[in-house]
Amino acid sequence: MLYILRRVAFYLAAFFVAVTLNFFIPRIMPGDPSARIIASFQGRLNEAQIEAIRASYGTTGSMWEQYLGYVGQVLRMDFGISTVQFPEPTSSLLFYGATWTLVLVGIAITFAFLIGTMMGIHAAWNRGGFFDSVFTPINVMLNAFTPAVVALLLFYAFSLQLQWFPLGRAHSTGLSPSLSFEFIGNVLYHATLPVLSILIVSFGGWHLGMRNVMINLLNEDFVILARAKGLSDRRVRYRYVARNAILPQITSLALSVGFLLGGALVTEQVFNYPGLGKFTVTAIESRDYSFIQAQLLLLTMSVLVANFLSDIANVVLDPRLRKG
Amino acid sequence: MADITQTASSSLLDRLDDAALASAAPTHIELMRELRIKQKPGWTSRLSPSVAAFVTNKKGMAGVIILLAMILFSILAPMFSEYNPHRRAGKPHVAPSYEHVLGTTRMGKDVYTQVAYGGRISLAVGFGAGIAAAAIGLAIGISAGYFGGRVDDILTFFVNVVLVLPGLPLIIVIASLVDSAGPLVIGIVLALTGWGWPARTIRTQTLSLRTREFVLSAELMGEKKWRIIFKEIFPNMLSFFMGGLVLGTISAILAEAALSFIGLGDPNAVTWGTMLYWAQNNMALQTGAWWEIWPPAVAIMLTGAALVMINFAVDEITNPQLKASRGIRRIKRFLRRRGRSADVF
Repeated sequence: MLYILRRVAFYLAAFFVAVTLNFFIPRIMPGDPSARIIASFQGRLNEAQIEAIRASYGTTGSMWEQYLGYVGQVLRMDFGISTVQFPEPTSSLLFYGATWTLVLVGIAITFAFLIGTMMGIHAAWNRGGFFDSVFTPINVMLNAFTPAVVALLLFYAFSLQLQWFPLGRAHSTGLSPSLSFEFIGNVLYHATLPVLSILIVSFGGWHLGMRNVMINLLNEDFVILARAKGLSDRRVRYRYVARNAILPQITSLALSVGFLLGGALVTEQVFNYPGLGKFTVTAIESRDYSFIQAQLLLLTMSVLVANFLSDIANVVLDPRLRKG
Repeated sequence: MADITQTASSSLLDRLDDAALASAAPTHIELMRELRIKQKPGWTSRLSPSVAAFVTNKKGMAGVIILLAMILFSILAPMFSEYNPHRRAGKPHVAPSYEHVLGTTRMGKDVYTQVAYGGRISLAVGFGAGIAAAAIGLAIGISAGYFGGRVDDILTFFVNVVLVLPGLPLIIVIASLVDSAGPLVIGIVLALTGWGWPARTIRTQTLSLRTREFVLSAELMGEKKWRIIFKEIFPNMLSFFMGGLVLGTISAILAEAALSFIGLGDPNAVTWGTMLYWAQNNMALQTGAWWEIWPPAVAIMLTGAALVMINFAVDEITNPQLKASRGIRRIKRFLRRRGRSADVF
């Protein structure tokens, strides 16, 4: 319990570091967002209008007042109004995009982790064998291919040439979101290629990680004892070795969430998928700073939540942590 | 050496009967041949053990050779092409031909020239950010692990924060505020966000080294702290530093490509990432101009694959069990032929 509390305290602190960074980065850069917007009107604004723009970006008053105001806004989940989709509040766009990104990344991360870990277990168990010496290097090299390239190739082959999959969007335009079988099927159909392109570049990492940790564990005394007791291969492999080897995997799974969300950016761009990445790119193009800043906070928050979940999983899987 | 053992055993053979011969223990040279263990070439004995281990590692050396070829190709780019990567060199979307080995882009720029020149910036950003991140990680990891106590608490907090802060979104915030994020800006930000992993592994390694005899004896002899760090601890961290460097370089090259691809980079710079960006914007695939997409893509993939192979070799050096696992099949087969149990593995 103490362990979990300590972790929660750390996450809160980390979140405040992110908020503070988000507050200071625009202010140490030359020309803050409000100055940019004011400059773009080329002197056609009067004093009151300038003051109003500055106030809406929170750049009036002393630094300390600005900071407190910003923290308050963040805690209320109030990220201002989007300049792209003008009257919409930024937060509603943010959560709309995040939902679709979550669909993509959620499916991709689950499959990548399962496939990679299973392959890693197999490779470590038959280490030095055919599967290990051929697929381990290949899978890890796939990891070093850019998501951009993989996504473009899949898009070209299956969407443009073969036309097996749609050219974009998260679901067909005629359908409205519901929990019906038809709608979910349609969403999965649209998500197939984007998920596949994230999957291809990410499962190799899990393969290598699991394999390396497993190989180190295979010579441990408890494994030799388990085999000497005459336990079945299956039991030693999964209950003894894999169960211990998966602990560091779960920790890095949580840490990789941020990386994967970043990778989804490129995929969504290629497949024209209405996720967070797509909105972020639009926001970059139109200099919608409140959205750009809010996406960092939202992504940081999701990484922290993922880490918290991995802590709980670690406590469940590793009895040693329950005492600490 | 081999001759002597052979003559010795053959003179012995005359006096032994056939039954005894069958059970005679094979010489270690025969054993090595049966297990297919090659003797290390003599010249490696002058190198330090970890360097020798790397030089004799096939995967690692293959990676180094590919990487050196890529680096040479981009450094010597002007020798390979007379075109300017920023200027129009021919008609738009010319297919690969004698004048344009890899065709031209929609803007009529020579793709081959762009790949060569783009490599300079992409590789420089990648290696620059990778080296810087590994160096920061090394400094912070060793300090945290060696000094311990309050210093460790504070540094570990920052390491953990850097680990949980998502790198790419943070770069997007910074890059969107500077007007166009040139390669230098991207490189600096990647270095500042990428040192978490190396710092973490190096700290753990330092913690386990700190209590070893050779460090303790250096402390008892009254060595200065910085001298212990540089002379005793740092040499043992070299392979972890290299590992961090290689991984950092891969992720920096990929991140640069991703950022440029979504249009955050400086569109006038020529890097592999911006080439992909223009290819995507110009609908190169839709119009069948595959030569605009494939060359930068293959360049990135080759570099990535080479770095992964080097990382495999570094992994095997830092973690000898991984290397041992390569010969395990042969050893098992060997034991079975001798009628011994191979179940211990």
